[in-house]
Amino acid sequence: MSLPTKPPAPAARPVKVSIVYCAACGYEPQTLELVGTLMHTFLYDLAAIEIIPWQDGAFDVVVDGDLIHSMYEHGGFPEHATIIQAVRERLARSA
Amino acid sequence: MAVTRERFEQGMTYEAYKAQMTRNRERLEENEQLLKLAPEDVQFFAENPLHVLVLTEDWCGDAIANVPIVGRLAAESGTLNVRIFLRDQNLDIMDQYLKHGQYRSIPVFVLFDQEFRELGHWIERPAAMTEMQGKMLDELYATAPELAGIERGASMAQLPEAARNRLMKAFGDFRAETRELANGMVVRELRELVARNQAQIA
Repeated sequence: MSLPTKPPAPAARPVKVSIVYCAACGYEPQTLELVGTLMHTFLYDLAAIEIIPWQDGAFDVVVDGDLIHSMYEHGGFPEHATIIQAVRERLARSA
Repeated sequence: MAVTRERFEQGMTYEAYKAQMTRNRERLEENEQLLKLAPEDVQFFAENPLHVLVLTEDWCGDAIANVPIVGRLAAESGTLNVRIFLRDQNLDIMDQYLKHGQYRSIPVFVLFDQEFRELGHWIERPAAMTEMQGKMLDELYATAPELAGIERGASMAQLPEAARNRLMKAFGDFRAETRELANGMVVRELRELVARNQAQIA
């Protein structure tokens, strides 16, 4: 009989990710794809993933209070790798 | 390359555009129904037949607000030949009408006379409305307790929920309260565009 695998211990200080998306613009697929990527990549190391409907073509991603991507400033949607890197950096700082 | 008559005719009619909308059609049609046009404005356009090229997208708030104005003017004057192009599928046209030479802002209305000479174009919203919204936000950030200490350019994702809710309410109230004023400004600016450029061509 095999013993159940223990779930990985969560990070010492999990990271919060907030995503603001333009609700009238059809950005739901991009938002939900990013949410799925974050959930699969980080499991318990995220304190929360906050999804915030907004307007005027916005798509912003903030990690622990730091703006990582803004459609207004950077144009387009972020590469998932950029957001993953930002989360990893903040997890490393708190380790 | 300037928009040719042939390229113009590739656009959708206003009704065909509405029929293929995948979002915000109800809001656009509501704006169309609620719009009040002054008889003298309808008469002006009735006396000035035009071809009107529109660049738009379903998700754009300014387009949902302002494209119905062109639709109603066309319906009531009987003299505006409107053709609608989706911005992201027609960047060859969009990139001829960039706001400040940089931004693919929409909606864009390009006006042509009966000889298909371009009279001018109009982009996004009346400048005065942008200024009014800016002043509204200045006052809000200065007085609303929910926004105390918050930097004006901060991302919505960095704001507390109460601050975001306050801003969303303020935007909604502003749009509702200034709708008629904004509509009047759009019509006036389109009239001025026609009158000014017709005088230059004559």
